[in-house]
Amino acid sequence: MAVTDLKPTICILHSRVSETNPQGEVTRLLAEWSSGDQSALNKMMPLVYAELHRIARRAWNQHPQNNTLQPTALINEAYLKLANAENASFQDRCHFFAVACKAMRQILVNHAKSRLSDKRGHGAAHVSLDDVEPAVHEEAAEIVALHEALEALHAVDPRKSMVVEMRYFGGLSIEETAEAMGVSVRTVHRDWRLARSWLIREMNRESS
Amino acid sequence: MNLPPAWEEIERLYHEALELPVGERNVLLARASPALRQEVESLLEADSEDGLLAAPPTHVVADLLDSQPNGLAPGQRVADYEVESLISVGGMGEVYLARDREGRPVALKILRRHLIASAQAVYRFETEARAASALCHPNIVTVYQSGESPAGLFIAMEWVDGSTFRAIMDAGQVEIAQAVDWGGQAARALSAAHAAGILHRDMKPENIMLRKDGVVKILDFGLARDGGAVGPEPSSMGASGTISGTLSGTLLYMPPEILRGETATSASDIFSLGAVLYELTAGHHPFAGETLLDVFEAIECRTVAAITSLRNGVPREVDRLILRMLDRSPGGRPSASEVCDVLGHSTAP
Repeated sequence: MAVTDLKPTICILHSRVSETNPQGEVTRLLAEWSSGDQSALNKMMPLVYAELHRIARRAWNQHPQNNTLQPTALINEAYLKLANAENASFQDRCHFFAVACKAMRQILVNHAKSRLSDKRGHGAAHVSLDDVEPAVHEEAAEIVALHEALEALHAVDPRKSMVVEMRYFGGLSIEETAEAMGVSVRTVHRDWRLARSWLIREMNRESS
Repeated sequence: MNLPPAWEEIERLYHEALELPVGERNVLLARASPALRQEVESLLEADSEDGLLAAPPTHVVADLLDSQPNGLAPGQRVADYEVESLISVGGMGEVYLARDREGRPVALKILRRHLIASAQAVYRFETEARAASALCHPNIVTVYQSGESPAGLFIAMEWVDGSTFRAIMDAGQVEIAQAVDWGGQAARALSAAHAAGILHRDMKPENIMLRKDGVVKILDFGLARDGGAVGPEPSSMGASGTISGTLSGTLLYMPPEILRGETATSASDIFSLGAVLYELTAGHHPFAGETLLDVFEAIECRTVAAITSLRNGVPREVDRLILRMLDRSPGGRPSASEVCDVLGHSTAP
């Protein structure tokens, strides 16, 4: 996976906090989580989820041609907006990325599932449009299968499943993943490689 | 004691093996217990597969970001056209009824760029636009304009007020005389296209329409071959999805040489049109089957029953013509102009 840098357009997209004030809320929840309150994570998730959604929609409306928007750009944007970035501790930032990648996974898996269950009509075709299976369907099927395999991997080795979550669903680079997880770059490299092999094997088994 | 190997052991051996050249791994693995060895070997095998996790899921992200997941709104403009209503939805886009600046109806086909797996599909779409606009024939849908808009790639073409052959056949039996007339019109379109070096490559009842005034219109012209009017395809097939997608829609009308992976020729279009005409006249498809494999086998091996044995009133020369169009050997099939001649002179009851 290529290292996905922040795209310049995304920085422009950064805007004021909207109607509600989720920023203070997220900052507070991050602090609570850091001091050991695990329930803070669950409370934070829907806020992050909603924000990622909003950013995604706005990004599209402002830059309809920008079809290559990366998840990592969304997460960075959400971080700037939700967390009080200037005052947040390094620890908070790591936690935020962990939550955001989880939320991103949820968003993408939900969307992939709805895409797959979406039975497209083949009715009164004036012109056929179904000559080629759209890429998004192929990718959606892969996302759902991967999501399930990743849950199995979580039972075997939670850290490796988290590495995949951050890199694939969150779009973070090896270095960003290492930083967010507080482990070495070498560990992420090794975890990623083994996790990938394990997941491919698992998905091959499932499909055969 | 046959405990499954510990995860830590698997992990250690896996990474040790990865550090060795492929040829030297066996020596290392041979020292491990059979269960551990099997685990690590299967992981190393998976490691050599590429594809999965190679790139972030950009298509799904882009799809998620699509501000118009439900298509274009009435009144929206695409180039010179104003969208009126949605006609049909496909996997990669939509077809709309739209109006040009003079208020005339046009069919507007939109292909969403982010939904497309391969450059191949975009190429096919663009070539379709060029191929069709290179053809000017009363039985071929006219393309007015094509290009790119924020909504995606678009083709604006003649609006055909009518039904597809598929819809007509679904509605009931077709009169023989009508089938002969429609077949003749479709063959005239193919004859003109073939003379211009353009193949359709996807003739099927979904791609042929009957306008309310009785004029047959062929849609979705594909790529040129031989004649070179439109240039060759960049590669024969795209991703695996391309193949499956193409097969599922078109398999029943594919000639055996295409199923075998050979290059399409004008005779391939004739075979497909023959299958459509057989279905129109006989009332059922010549190669119908329960499964894909049945259909494959039927196209490859089945002796097609004479239509006269299934339905009264089919002129002998028409029956013979359609069976010749379905000849397994491309060389045994009539040309499009020969099909026009026979159908044009046939006197159906």
